[in-house]
Order: sequence, then structure tokens, then C-alpha cells
Amino acid sequence: MRILPFFIIGVALVALAALPGCTTVNTVERAQPIAQRQMVDDKRIVTDSSLNRRVQIVGVNQSNGAGGLLKVQVEVLNTTRSLQHFNYKFEWFDESGTVIGTPTSAFLPRQLEGKESMFLTATAPTAIAKDFRLKLLQDLR
Amino acid sequence: MKLLRKTSWLLLPVCAPLCFIGCATPQATRVDSAGGRSLTTVRGINMQDWNDAADTMINSLRENFINAGKLQAPEGKPALLAISRIVNNTGTQIDTDLLVKKIQIALSRTDKVVTSTTIGVGGVADVIAEEEKRRARLLGVEPSRPNYTLSGKIIEQTARAGNVREASYVFQLSLTKIPEGVAAWEEERTITKQGTRGSVGVW
Repeated sequence: MRILPFFIIGVALVALAALPGCTTVNTVERAQPIAQRQMVDDKRIVTDSSLNRRVQIVGVNQSNGAGGLLKVQVEVLNTTRSLQHFNYKFEWFDESGTVIGTPTSAFLPRQLEGKESMFLTATAPTAIAKDFRLKLLQDLR
Repeated sequence: MKLLRKTSWLLLPVCAPLCFIGCATPQATRVDSAGGRSLTTVRGINMQDWNDAADTMINSLRENFINAGKLQAPEGKPALLAISRIVNNTGTQIDTDLLVKKIQIALSRTDKVVTSTTIGVGGVADVIAEEEKRRARLLGVEPSRPNYTLSGKIIEQTARAGNVREASYVFQLSLTKIPEGVAAWEEERTITKQGTRGSVGVW
């Protein structure tokens, strides 16, 4: 019984310490959106289930511009209530499935506030790029 | 007590390799400059920052300029781009080619833009090509004039609150249509980094 007060104080301290890290984002948008996204059926390979639980892919859509370059937009959501850091990288492939090298084929760091969603966009490096792959990597620092 | 003695013997083979790891001399390791393991410092533009800024600029150029159908080129030819001045307004000496070269490569891969190596501010990129161009001009061959020029500025902004230090790097680029002299495309990317004096890297 003597332990109980210490336990309560401990729980309160932990809760206080966790408070600054739990900043979530509120959003508002049109109830019936006018824009119609051309969604893409995607295949997901999850090797880091911890990252997958925290930063989830909501949907993938694509469009083609007048210049003939494929544009891809991937919506990611931070499912937690705390700030999440992650890295992402797009890879592009031609019709035969060969990877197309670009000078910026690098993992780029991004951060999401609690419950925040974000669009990761990329435009194909050349008109011959027909397919893409998005890689997500947890923060390595 | 007996149980503790038994378990401590069991732990020995597990802990021994850890001791060896601790005794190993620090080694230099090669990290992928395109990966997420390169060092980040508060002060200074790191490799990840250059990659990030270049990616934003290239994506914007492809999306808002090329893919939007705004690129105007001579009939059947790619547009000619000349690199103008990129002003460094940061406190450190930087080579702006870390940004510009990536953009040049990305644009040339679209097959819609080529970059001039014989027109440049403060010296041309290829001296021999420039000499040959001069010789061709004497023979009456008129060299191509650029359709666009790329110029920009890199600005540094620092702040400090207590032990926390912050540095922002603003990358601004403009693509100017020649001979009109109007901006055909513009983009800005700000990268902000925060850290304390004791954090990784040098302030």
C-alpha cells in the first residue's frame, strides 16, 4: 500500500514528460471533394513493421502532364500522436523495367506531426519512365 | 545466490563479444551519400541538404515548367540553357555546383533542355570548346544563343535561444527567358536545422 502514492506520482511524471511530444494536427476539408484522384493499385512490401505502424501509406495516385512526364503523389499518414521522422526515395523504371538513374536518387528526410498526413510527390525524370517505386526508411540518426 | 552464479556463467559467452566490439579501434566507414546515414550539422549545408534542395528544384522544374508545357524551344531542337550567377549569401564558402550540376544533369536527361558549357559567369566550363566556338565564328558559323538562363541565391539565417541553435538555408532559383528577360519559372526551398552545442557535428 505504501508503494501506491509513489506509483501515482510516477505515472503523473511520465504523463507530463510525454505531453510535449504529443502534438497532433487538426484538419478541415471539403466534405465532397471536387477533384477526382486517379488512384493506383499498389503492392506493399513491409520489412519494417514498426515504421509501417507509425507512418502509413494512405493512397497512391498519378497524373500525366502536357510535357508527357508521369507525376506520382503518395499520401502518408502519421498514425501516432507524436512527431515522426522518416526518409523517402522514389525510383523510376522504363517500359522494360530497367531502373532510370537520376542525380537526386537519394533518401530525403521528412517529418510529420502527430496524426498529420502529407503528400510525397515526384515527377518522372524522363518521358520513358513508366513505373515507379517509393521506399520509406526510418530516421537513421 | 546459487541461481545468480549459474546465470552469470551463462551470460559470459553473450557478454564477451560485446567487450571485443568495445575494444575495437574506430574505423573510417564509407556511407552512401544518397542514403540517410550521412552527417548532419546545424551550421553549414550538408550532403542531405544539397540533395533535398536539388530534388525540390528539379521536381518543380519538371512539374511546373516542363510538364506544364511552358518550355519553349526552337523547332525540333532542345532549349539551350546557360548558367548565370548563383549568389552565395551564407557565412561559409560553398560550391554552388553541388546544386546546379544536379539540375543540369536532370534537365539534360529530359531530352528537352541542353546546357551550354561555353557561356558562363566568371569563366566558361569548357575552355577548349569555347576556343573552337570562337574559331567557328571567324569562319562565319554563328553560335547558338541561350533560350534560358538559370540564376539564384543561397541565403543563410541563424537564430539562437538559450542552448538551442538554428540555421535556415534558403535556396532561390529563377529561370529567365531570353531575350525577353522575364522569369519563366521560380522556386524557393528553405531547409531549417536545429541543435544544441553538444549535438552531432560542429556549430
